[in-house]
Amino acid sequence: MLKTLKRISLGASTAIALATAAFAGPYDEFAGTTLVVNFPAHPHYNAVMKVLPEFTKETGIEVEVDQLPYMKMRERQTLELGQDEGDYDLVAYVVFSKADYVYADQLENLARYFMNPKLADPSYDPDDLIDGYVYNIGFAGGNKGYLAGKTGSLFGVPYGSETSVLGYRKDIFEKHNLAVPETYEEMLDIACKIPQLEPGMGGLSSRAASGHHAAHAFLLHLAPLGGRVFDNSWNPIVNNAAGVEAANALKTIVDCGPEGAASFGFGEALGSFLNGDTAMFLDTTVVAGQIDDPKKSKVVGKVGWAMHPMGVRRGSQTGGFGIGIPKNAENKDAAFLLMQWLTSKTGDKLTALAGGNPSRFSTHADADVNAKFPHMSIFGEALKHADPDWRPIIPVWGKINADLGTTLSKVLTEDLDIQTALDGVAERAKGIMDEAGYYTWQ
Amino acid sequence: MAPAIIIIILALLYPLGYMVYGSFRAWDPSQNISESEFVGLKNYITLFYDPAFRESLVVTLTFAVCVVFSELVIGVGLALMLDRNIRGMSVLRTLFILPMMIAPVVVGLMWRYMYHPTVGTFNKTLKSFGLDGIDWLGQNALLSVIIADVWQWTPFIFILSLAALQSLPRSAIEAAKIDGATSWQQIIHIKLPLMMPVLIVTALLRLIDAFKVLEVILVMTEGGPGLSTEILALRISRTATEFRELGVAAAMSNYLLIILLILTVSMYAITRIQENRAARLARQIQEEY
Repeated sequence: MLKTLKRISLGASTAIALATAAFAGPYDEFAGTTLVVNFPAHPHYNAVMKVLPEFTKETGIEVEVDQLPYMKMRERQTLELGQDEGDYDLVAYVVFSKADYVYADQLENLARYFMNPKLADPSYDPDDLIDGYVYNIGFAGGNKGYLAGKTGSLFGVPYGSETSVLGYRKDIFEKHNLAVPETYEEMLDIACKIPQLEPGMGGLSSRAASGHHAAHAFLLHLAPLGGRVFDNSWNPIVNNAAGVEAANALKTIVDCGPEGAASFGFGEALGSFLNGDTAMFLDTTVVAGQIDDPKKSKVVGKVGWAMHPMGVRRGSQTGGFGIGIPKNAENKDAAFLLMQWLTSKTGDKLTALAGGNPSRFSTHADADVNAKFPHMSIFGEALKHADPDWRPIIPVWGKINADLGTTLSKVLTEDLDIQTALDGVAERAKGIMDEAGYYTWQ
Repeated sequence: MAPAIIIIILALLYPLGYMVYGSFRAWDPSQNISESEFVGLKNYITLFYDPAFRESLVVTLTFAVCVVFSELVIGVGLALMLDRNIRGMSVLRTLFILPMMIAPVVVGLMWRYMYHPTVGTFNKTLKSFGLDGIDWLGQNALLSVIIADVWQWTPFIFILSLAALQSLPRSAIEAAKIDGATSWQQIIHIKLPLMMPVLIVTALLRLIDAFKVLEVILVMTEGGPGLSTEILALRISRTATEFRELGVAAAMSNYLLIILLILTVSMYAITRIQENRAARLARQIQEEY
């Protein structure tokens, strides 16, 4: 009797277990897991912090966030990713870290997660992710080693990515009957007219300070004006006609810009626009929230947005952050679920509504998002032209970027001849590339 | 006793040895140091011919000499002026040391915004008098960071100089007064020579610190414009983090260490000479009076 009862009981338990398994949610197996993630202190990730409780509520997976200033974050990741067992299950990485982390084999290839039917959500719709962002931030191993291509794979998903748009003062443009610039020629022309039309006001505020800032500002103009840093054989071509035109554009912008523009970093350039000292701002989309914040901005309601002006082609920048799973993570599957949830249509929309930068075309076109942030549709339009190759993402880029930035700073402050300056950059870049083995096959 | 000494030596020398070892390798932050390729003296030789490194050395020397000289002149001058019984001296002394207590990053941010071309205090003041603003962090960037450093660290020299002045033998100064020496003569012939050993040590400490300054300049100018304020510590930090060349950064650090060692040994030798001179002078005064 007892045996029979035991059999019945065992059978019932098995049936219940099987039935439960058949109807188990994708998150059940991971409920109670605590993920440790490393995010930067950045407006997008501040918005993410507001969304994470929703993920925990839906999945039962707890998330512990180590939020750090982004340069500090990179230092910490350099140490953490090199260990046998790491502390982080998911990391946000700044775009130029992609080359270093993938080359050092420190990030998981995401193919095996998207292939896993228990983990991959069929409604994820990867084609809705913004192409420029995915290829710039997530892909590696394709064309040139850092772009999409038949040999490439996905190592991260863009999250907290940015492109460039033109912000302009609607009131000033209306007052002087100026048309919103659509080309570089028109933009530079208006930039230098503004100081005459509005004494004391600069035309366009741009980063220009030595190093990363000047290099970033130059590259922002280089791609639309038809240039690239390297040709397809890795020969530096930054000193060709397009390069000179881009450096001239930067110099014109600084010369017609607000007082002291040559020493502006990102903060000063944005501050100048927020303070009403300049009529235009050409840089990242991440500033939109601050421009609309009356506590930070004197130009609330006065700013219109337009696409990054066209040179010989359209080409807005791509940058910001992506999220990836470290090779040494402890809870990789659960980390993938978090990554997938955050970058899903639902997660992306929730993050956007909380003030973050969306990574999907659908979020940019979403009615609720546009009702709250009317600029989002223009940003979505600009993203159709986002150029993943506006800046090389190779391990030696840091050194070339620093040289480019300090040399351009000399052009802006010491009147160093542009052609001579860029010839020097090209020559030194060639040496760096040679040493790193980029000409081995030539 | 012996184990304690071994531990102390290891604690002191191991990190130094690690840096020297790393400087002979093509060491990337994503690698374990032992996995990196041995390149011999290549990092040192490359740096020797690197114009950016040489420019950085010149900037560092200019910065260090200018700040230490200015701080010495102002700090010692203030100490000589205030070496008397003044009411509220303790309050004044506390106020003087406040800048030293502020975190360097905060100092950098504070000065960066005071130097701001349009909303900064300095240009606003100049413009209120109808004068043109100054391009503080552009063409005058090196001068601007020197001013910020002098503001922060002059109190250090002032406090030590004042302490040195107040510990001088009063008999020597009284004797000079009796002999009819003017205040200026007392300073030149009595006070400064007797203070010299303390001043040299103070200057040496400041010089070492000035060679290593990083945060204030990083926040104020990030080394620009061009490389005009890229001090050696900033170049080392960039080489290690932005360029990811830890071996080259270690070689740079060793060059800096060698420079500082030469300075320290020279200053130590000068201190010994000055101490002997000061002792002789003190004895001479005592014998005469």
